[in-house]
Amino acid sequence: MKLTLQLSDLFAISPLLILLISALVLLLIESFVSHQAKKYSAWLSLAAIIFAMFAAITAPASENILLTSWLEFDPLARFFTVLFLSIGFVSVCLASSFFEHFDAPTHGEYYFLLLSALSGLLLIGSSADFLTLFLGIETLSVSLYILCGYMKNWRFSSEASLKYFLMSSLATAFLVYGIALIYGAAGTTKFSALLPAYQKINTLSTQTLFLSGAALVTLGLAFKAAIVPFHIWAPDVYDGAPTPVTAFMAVGTKIGAFAAFVRVFMQALHGFNPIWNEGIALLAYPTLIYANFVALRQSQLRRFFAYSGISHAGFLLIPLAADMSGGTTEAIPSLLFYLVVYSLATFGAFAVLAYLDKRSQGVVLFDLYGLFHRSPLQAGILTVCILTLAGIPPTAGFFAKLFIFKVAFQAGYHALVVVGLLTTIISAFYYLRIISVMFSEKSNEKEVYDYSIPAIFVGVASAAAIAAISIYPQPLLSLLLTIGK
Amino acid sequence: MPIIMWLFIVPFIASFAILALPSKVKPFIKLFAFLLSLIPLIILMINHFQLKDMSINYPWIPSFSIGFFLKIDFLSLIFLYLTALIIPMSILAVNRKELAHTPLFFSLILMIQGLLLGFFMARDLVVFTIFWEAMLLPLYFIINIWGSGNRQQAALKFLVYMIAGSVLMLAAILFLYFTAEGSNGSGTFNLDTLQHIAATAPNAQWVFLIFLLAFAVKTPLFPFHAWLPDAYCHAPTSGTILLSAILSKAGIYGFFRISLELYPQLLKEWSPALLTLAIIGVFYGGLAAWMQNDFKRLIAYSSFSHVNFILAGLFVWQEPAQAGAILQSINHAITITALFLVAGWLESRVQTTSMNQISGLAKYMPKLCWLTLFFVTVSIALPGTNNFVGELMILFGLFGQNPWVAATLGLSIIFSVIYMLRFMQCTYFGVPSSFQSKWIDIGAKELLISTPLVFMILWIGIYPGPFLDAINQIISLAHGEPS
Repeated sequence: MKLTLQLSDLFAISPLLILLISALVLLLIESFVSHQAKKYSAWLSLAAIIFAMFAAITAPASENILLTSWLEFDPLARFFTVLFLSIGFVSVCLASSFFEHFDAPTHGEYYFLLLSALSGLLLIGSSADFLTLFLGIETLSVSLYILCGYMKNWRFSSEASLKYFLMSSLATAFLVYGIALIYGAAGTTKFSALLPAYQKINTLSTQTLFLSGAALVTLGLAFKAAIVPFHIWAPDVYDGAPTPVTAFMAVGTKIGAFAAFVRVFMQALHGFNPIWNEGIALLAYPTLIYANFVALRQSQLRRFFAYSGISHAGFLLIPLAADMSGGTTEAIPSLLFYLVVYSLATFGAFAVLAYLDKRSQGVVLFDLYGLFHRSPLQAGILTVCILTLAGIPPTAGFFAKLFIFKVAFQAGYHALVVVGLLTTIISAFYYLRIISVMFSEKSNEKEVYDYSIPAIFVGVASAAAIAAISIYPQPLLSLLLTIGK
Repeated sequence: MPIIMWLFIVPFIASFAILALPSKVKPFIKLFAFLLSLIPLIILMINHFQLKDMSINYPWIPSFSIGFFLKIDFLSLIFLYLTALIIPMSILAVNRKELAHTPLFFSLILMIQGLLLGFFMARDLVVFTIFWEAMLLPLYFIINIWGSGNRQQAALKFLVYMIAGSVLMLAAILFLYFTAEGSNGSGTFNLDTLQHIAATAPNAQWVFLIFLLAFAVKTPLFPFHAWLPDAYCHAPTSGTILLSAILSKAGIYGFFRISLELYPQLLKEWSPALLTLAIIGVFYGGLAAWMQNDFKRLIAYSSFSHVNFILAGLFVWQEPAQAGAILQSINHAITITALFLVAGWLESRVQTTSMNQISGLAKYMPKLCWLTLFFVTVSIALPGTNNFVGELMILFGLFGQNPWVAATLGLSIIFSVIYMLRFMQCTYFGVPSSFQSKWIDIGAKELLISTPLVFMILWIGIYPGPFLDAINQIISLAHGEPS
């Protein structure tokens, strides 16, 4: 057994290291040459992310026990790393176009925080122990508290930041408490040892302890994923945060939370107790129904995407609930497929919002009037993304839903399928209303908008990726099916 | 590439080609679109004798065992011809001067063509569902962008109704998939395989009900028609033609395809209830058409009435009636295209669709008047026209089963005479209103456009033999099967 880190081990965790080091470098540049930082921070972060992506694809898996007891190096970890890095890439692009319209005292700090949040996500995706998972979640959350209030003179922003901080720390407390209870019952925080430890439990009191711990961990993660009834923070925070931060939360935080679910409950504790699955199914019903109904009444788009995100979280709960022992083997792939499609569509939509984002209040539905006549390209991108979110064939969103429903069918959750499908009628209504507004003639602003290159790039790339997945989803599917095995 | 693939893919290529045209050729864009939309018809005609039973089956998403499985049988062939014929007509119905963003408009119509051709050939239920829903999107945009009046609301209502109707279809096909897995060991969406197991599976009636709901909304069967008046009236003329002539046929095709192949027995059992709905629909449509003061709405309701007549024929479990229903689907598509075409010409001339403001137009536009009168007589099924043959067959089949019901349904033809002649009376005859200079009668171009429709009407009306031969084969296949 080697007890020192070799170069190859460092290479194995290089994506994380690259992100952290470049984050610190950004901070240094900001402190010493802040006028340069304004210009180059975004480019530096992009370069770091691309470099990390390259490292993530090529890095060998480490077998050093110093690392493997904390981090997984399985294909799933690699997939999550690449996915999170792509999310980071897009977030940097959106942020740089945001800063074209809005001036903040410093830009360097923003990217420092973004890269830190990203490294937190990377830790979650490859965590092999509750401690690494917790570290990841906290790194992500703490960076986000600051990012939410980054525009210091926006009143709503500070409010959002404080709200998020208070609520989220409460959820973190539950999470830690849950981990502690599980440790108390199982005597370990290692994921690989959890299930055997659980199965060895023979007294009712210990089992109760373990299950309470699992319930509290679920609660903590459900909060981060914004699942009804733990969603109260999401609309206000999404609404108040700057648009690129909202985009990052809508995609990054959500996927991070579900990555944690995958790591803890779908892999480590796979099918440990059907009660847990029942509980998740019971969360899925109100999430689907409530979020869809409330989304009908939203006109501020950041807030709208909060509710839309909550309703998608409801769909994402379906494979979690269906992941039982001896049941379907496709729960993880279906979840991952949905996550990929959801993040593409949401980012595409936010890229268009970045184009319209001119005020601290964000984009309201009214701003979209006549968008098609002002900019057919933007309208086209938003249409593709919205149709995908609504899951209307032939978009990739349809396949994502089909896959999830298939898994639910296999697990016998027929009622969940029917409720999920019926709520898509409601969601079709509010998604299509956005499209209707875009294609109307009334244009309330004559102002000519200038395209922002990074945002346009994100929009076009997302729409193109959605189109590719819609026409031929097989490559992505087979990739995910091998990863999720 | 096999012919069948070309048939499917050519409209999509055409659709992108239209968008990519340089701005220099913009004046000729309608002509281009028209020529491109004719290609499927040409492909069909050239290969007419080899097309039967031609199929392709590419593994598309093997992980879900979804195959890109297209196959042509007689039933598909009829609807393929219909699509290939009606789409060019709808392009000709476009008044280009009234449109902004014309390339996009034509591109969307061609896209609908491709999706419909795909739908009528699909033998894999996922592919079937995808085309079934995807064809709505271009129509939604056509109503939304180029419609008139309260078009956004009409388009939204249309699409939400459609989605609500067919959203559960996804659950139904997944159910069939797992039924197949239960009985064959591997799940499949393949209609050929499902044909043998669907009807005997548990909960078959629920699955069938879900399918029926989807088709009933799209066709629409009474009482699932609430979206219809707004969508038909606020759509541009070519959009209305697409909705009434083609989209309703997609619903009817769905009824035929799923009920005759998967659930013939259930259809037979439910025949009385469904027949009642269809007959109520016929009369409701007729009465509603009678009450309209807007000629576009009048024709919309007459279309609704006739479509329900077709469904009545389908729901009678009798060979002649079902054959009549298929024939009548062709007839209705041709007739309603013709009616909306002349109504569109009238609308673009008098700038209104209200019958209160116009009268006695025959004096100023005699040619349009006589052409309209011809199509109106076709619509009320005068002997010698195509509708007469179809409606007679349906009534004949129904008579064999229940003479009283047949007699009641026969009364609906009187209704159609009343409302159609009222339309003629109000707009073309009566005291002439004051002439306005922008009223120019139709010319050679319009007459030329309507020639193929007149030709088809007379052909089927006078010599329906070739059509009936093909139709009888479909019916005897469906009825010959042990059920």
